Amino acid sequence: MTALAGSSTIRMAWRNLWRNRRRTALALAAIGLSVTLVLAYTSIMRAYGDWIVEAITGPMLGHVQVHAPQWRKDRLMDRTLRDAGEKLELLRADPGVADATARVYAPALAARGEEGFAVMVVGIDPRAESGPARLLSDTTRLTAAKQALIGQQLAEQMGVKAGDELAIVGQGVDGSLANDLFIVAALVSTPVDVLNRQGILIDLAEAQTLFAMPDEAHEIVVHTHDAGAAAMVARRVAAAGAFAGAEVMDWRTLAPEMVEMVRLTELAGLLVLFLVFIAAAAGVANTMVMATFERTREFGMLLALGTHPSRLVALVVAESIVLGVVGAFVGSLIGVALVAVTHETGIDYAQLAGGGPSALSFQGMRMSLHFHPTLTVIDVVRPFAAVCLTSLLASIWPAVRASRLQPVQSLRGA
Amino acid sequence: MACLVAAPASQSPAPSPPEVEALLQHLDDLYRSRSSIARIQIDVTSPRSTRTMRLKAWTRGEDEVLVIIEAPPREAGTATLRVGNNLWNYLPRIARTIRVPPAAMLGSWMGTDFTNDDLVKESSLRKDFAARIDRRSEAPKGWWLALDVKPGVVGRWARIELLVSDDRLPVEERHFDRKGRLARTMTFDDVQRLGGRRMPAHITMQPADAGGQRTEMRYLDVQFDVPLPNDTFSLSRLEQVR
Repeated sequence: MTALAGSSTIRMAWRNLWRNRRRTALALAAIGLSVTLVLAYTSIMRAYGDWIVEAITGPMLGHVQVHAPQWRKDRLMDRTLRDAGEKLELLRADPGVADATARVYAPALAARGEEGFAVMVVGIDPRAESGPARLLSDTTRLTAAKQALIGQQLAEQMGVKAGDELAIVGQGVDGSLANDLFIVAALVSTPVDVLNRQGILIDLAEAQTLFAMPDEAHEIVVHTHDAGAAAMVARRVAAAGAFAGAEVMDWRTLAPEMVEMVRLTELAGLLVLFLVFIAAAAGVANTMVMATFERTREFGMLLALGTHPSRLVALVVAESIVLGVVGAFVGSLIGVALVAVTHETGIDYAQLAGGGPSALSFQGMRMSLHFHPTLTVIDVVRPFAAVCLTSLLASIWPAVRASRLQPVQSLRGA
Repeated sequence: MACLVAAPASQSPAPSPPEVEALLQHLDDLYRSRSSIARIQIDVTSPRSTRTMRLKAWTRGEDEVLVIIEAPPREAGTATLRVGNNLWNYLPRIARTIRVPPAAMLGSWMGTDFTNDDLVKESSLRKDFAARIDRRSEAPKGWWLALDVKPGVVGRWARIELLVSDDRLPVEERHFDRKGRLARTMTFDDVQRLGGRRMPAHITMQPADAGGQRTEMRYLDVQFDVPLPNDTFSLSRLEQVR
């Protein structure tokens, strides 16, 4: 019974709305456009946030890191993780983990001739560290034993080119002298500034031998399938017995300034959403107030014929909500379609800005300016629900006004 | 009032403070003289391991030093040459001589708690610091000297405090960093007659922050003022040390 009444009210509301085609079309367009804009904006902000997270976590930080306690503070050579191989295997077996790799960091001197340069030797697993949004973008280039990749700027400073022989002198974890010769396989430009300026990358196993730390590492970097699940994975890993005494941290804890930045973009998104509500509310309220003023005689007539005022309220509210829902639906449809079209190819910000730099540097990380608009379900539901709620609120005053009409006066007036 | 203040002083009359410049000069010469050849054992203790090295060191004047590691075998033949502000390491395993860049001067020397800088900077104490007698020490009897870095000097230490006993031997040296925190303490003990002079044969370097970390240096024998061939402190000599 109520369902029937409800559906008839909605049908009536729909008919009433189209009695003034132009006004309703304009209101729908305004609401739809606002929702489309919100979705476009949200998708770009989300892309921007994802892009920051990926640029930061991809090459160097990872989503979860494991260290010996204190290492992050003083980076002393002998603060290592033991049984690195076993730890890596455990990590790789975790369902939330996409990949895990170990690193060795050793300050050292490097020299081509007599002149020594202070460098950071980083032992890496070249296969795990290469790929899109990783440290090494190209395919592995450490193909033979005793090869090294050298940071572009460091190479320029040292006057080193591919094929040169480099002496590396440092200290083993036991304090013993570590020295060996490596052939420069290639000059690399990584997304990490400090590596380009100071880094010499060698194979993890060779670094472990050179610095007298078999099966040990300074850092284990984990990429999870989902950046959002990093904290959970970190907690799970930390609880495992093999990681007792190790410091396991997710990227949010490791790089709180990043989290802050992503949160700021979300706040900005909420502000835009708020502005759009106001626009939508104004549109709906304007339409409904006009409609009720116009129809004062009609409402008076209905009341005179014995229609209960609550029925008038329902009618006005229904018209308003239908207007909002239809507008928001059309807007969402267009917005989602726009994002769907641009998601795959992505947007090149540098091109949009008319040339300019194709990458920017933030906190020592170089990031490309290409990113992919993305929406989640909540991003679509939120403005839709917001517009519906706004329509409801915007209809209250016209609805109350309609219900309070005195039949006789309304019929005579207007 | 005057009596009260004067009374304790008259009971234990403090010896008159030494002349600072002369005392520092004396300390500088103590381990070095005009030239020296020493055999030294170094023990490095860290929470993780202990290492012992034996080395032979030649010095001439204030800025020529050659150190050759004799043991353990793995590191034997490794040598460090200092001439003025330049420092080179020779690495026999890869047959290379490498000059230590300024950026690596604060790095550890051969895995000890001494830095490369310690090998180079030891002669510039009197140049870079303003020294004065700070206070009297009762146990052991001696004087604390305070050396404050001169304005405009770039360096690691803001202040060095040095305890010198009344028989003009170093007892303790404290290094304070630019933030005024104690960074490390050197203690000198086991006074012996070596090379014809009395000197502490055992020096311990203890970093303030690293728990359980220290380096001990023991002079096994020393000869002073021996004539050294002119090419002792040259790169070509460095590479044929064995």
